[in-house]
Amino acid sequence: MTVGDIHVLEIFPILVFFISFFGLIISRNIVKAIVLIMLMQTSVILFWLGLGARLGNIPPIFQDATEVYDPNTIADPLPQALMLTAIIIGIAVTAINITLLNALFRKYQTVDWQPMQDLATVDERPES
Amino acid sequence: MPPQMLTFFVIVPVLIAVFLYVFFTLKIARVIAIAVQAAFMVPAAWLLFATQESEIAVTVGDYEGFLGIILRADLLAAVFVCLTVFIFLVVGIYTVQTPYDRTKRLYLFLIFLLEGALIGLFLTRDFFNIFVLVEVSTVVVTILLMYDRERRNLFAGMTFLMVNIIVMQLYLFGLGYIYMLTGVMDMEAASAVLYTMDDRSLALPYALIMTSIASKCSLLPMLTWLPKVNSLTGSRFTIAAIMSGLHIKAGVYLFIRFQDVFGGMGTDFFLVIGIITAVAGVIMALSQTDVRLLLAYSTIAQVGLIITGLSLGDGYSRVGSLFHIVNHSLFKVALFLCASQITYLYHTKDIRKIRGALRQTPLIAAANIMAILGIIGAPLFNGSISKYFLMSGATGATEWIIILINLGTILAFVKYAAIFFGKPLGKVRTEGGDEPDFNRRAVVLGLGIICLALGIGGAQAMDFLFDAPVSLSFWSYLEKVGIFAASVAIGILIYRYAISKREFLPKLNGLSLSFQQICVSIGAFFAVLVIYIGVF
Repeated sequence: MTVGDIHVLEIFPILVFFISFFGLIISRNIVKAIVLIMLMQTSVILFWLGLGARLGNIPPIFQDATEVYDPNTIADPLPQALMLTAIIIGIAVTAINITLLNALFRKYQTVDWQPMQDLATVDERPES
Repeated sequence: MPPQMLTFFVIVPVLIAVFLYVFFTLKIARVIAIAVQAAFMVPAAWLLFATQESEIAVTVGDYEGFLGIILRADLLAAVFVCLTVFIFLVVGIYTVQTPYDRTKRLYLFLIFLLEGALIGLFLTRDFFNIFVLVEVSTVVVTILLMYDRERRNLFAGMTFLMVNIIVMQLYLFGLGYIYMLTGVMDMEAASAVLYTMDDRSLALPYALIMTSIASKCSLLPMLTWLPKVNSLTGSRFTIAAIMSGLHIKAGVYLFIRFQDVFGGMGTDFFLVIGIITAVAGVIMALSQTDVRLLLAYSTIAQVGLIITGLSLGDGYSRVGSLFHIVNHSLFKVALFLCASQITYLYHTKDIRKIRGALRQTPLIAAANIMAILGIIGAPLFNGSISKYFLMSGATGATEWIIILINLGTILAFVKYAAIFFGKPLGKVRTEGGDEPDFNRRAVVLGLGIICLALGIGGAQAMDFLFDAPVSLSFWSYLEKVGIFAASVAIGILIYRYAISKREFLPKLNGLSLSFQQICVSIGAFFAVLVIYIGVF
């Protein structure tokens, strides 16, 4: 089933992506923001995987080297390989984010954006 | 040299980074770092000469078709690679022995890693490679921004990192669409397919990708967060110089490439955005009292100007904008390095408290003035040539707006230039008192002289760097000189009678968007761009 050019399975990740983006705007909590960013990453990964595979496709692994496969029945391996890289990058930056938040929490005892920004502005303003 | 050399441009800095970190002591590592940077200028210059003939391409892994990762150096990429190597060399020499030196091996490691990532970004034509390299450079820059342990600014660093991750997710999403439509990851191949498509069907991927690139360039409405971040207490002037001189230019470079891929969609939109960004950048720069913030906001104004020039749709304006990117890198790095030395001598970063720098440190002040003459577009300096060509495609109201933007830049730097005159207000360190600083003076003076040289040989330099045989009409140049002289006179008058008396728009001084506001502005930019492309 398609809507315009877009397959219906691709609409779900798009929805999740924009809902998490909206969540970033309304949530005041930094922990939630980090989780929402992870959700965004996951929805992008889901979207990409949806690009490469259709229902009934077989995995891009040749069990029998002599057999000839129809290219249309094999899932596209490129998005899968690329998303592996994206997952690793996502994990790395999330780890850095959590580390930074941990240090900030010890310093300011809050995980809310606004109070932390107020405290940080007083603490870290450019010296004059 | 064979085309396979291109891969070495990316690998060598990364390997050097690891070697310096693992095997050498700090003292030796610093010397090796400078030597390697200097030696690296040779292949960079070779690339510049070799790409004059034809572009060099290499497919990593020798895959056929568009399967492998393709590195491709055309003249534009070669110019950016050369610029990157040169700026890193300059900053390297500047920091080789600093009094407030905590130049550890980790610092050198990060600098080389950043250099490798930026060069890779300029050479690659693979969409996904760009994503990976931008993420690498973002993480490295985040760590560099928070490098000084006792003064580091965790909050700004975290905001910077999170905003960048979000915009790169937008980019990756847009990329998915491109891959769905074209089935390739190579820019050239994708652009051949995209040319045949209707603009409206590309609205979503275009808006997703351009929103992320616009926020990398810190265009309106995302303009406040980048200067704030790169000028906070934890970051050094040298990092700010690299951020303003190179890192933001990587965003502009991606803007140029992606506008080419999409066949010049949305140029009118970016023309307007560029102009508004430049005007807002100038106003913000005028309201600042911190040296670094003034310089950082002036970078935003110049980037707005460059985006305007690129979006005018005129051949001369495009070449002028490209030349302005190079020029801006040179004088902005000079300005930041001079400011670093001056603020060190004066114990303060407040423009209002620094006076009499010309007498205190004549050489640095001379270099600083040369860089200022460059950025405001004084005759005989490089800025005047690039601004002349940048403006040549503008007509009517646009031309006058660009003249007004330049008047604003002049005004901001008249305010800045007050630090050279008068008598010092507080205690001042004596130059070279604590340690020899010959290298620093030599570096900034060299940069100032390059600004002058590129101004005198501007047309030849543009022909060499961008393969654009331009001709400078004497009478129209004279007209621009007249406009410049009038602008300077007006600028000095406005400064004397309006700005020097009281603070200019003090409320703007402390303006800083919260994380949620940045997200709203990214979302708004995206929504407006989708509607613009989809409907008009």
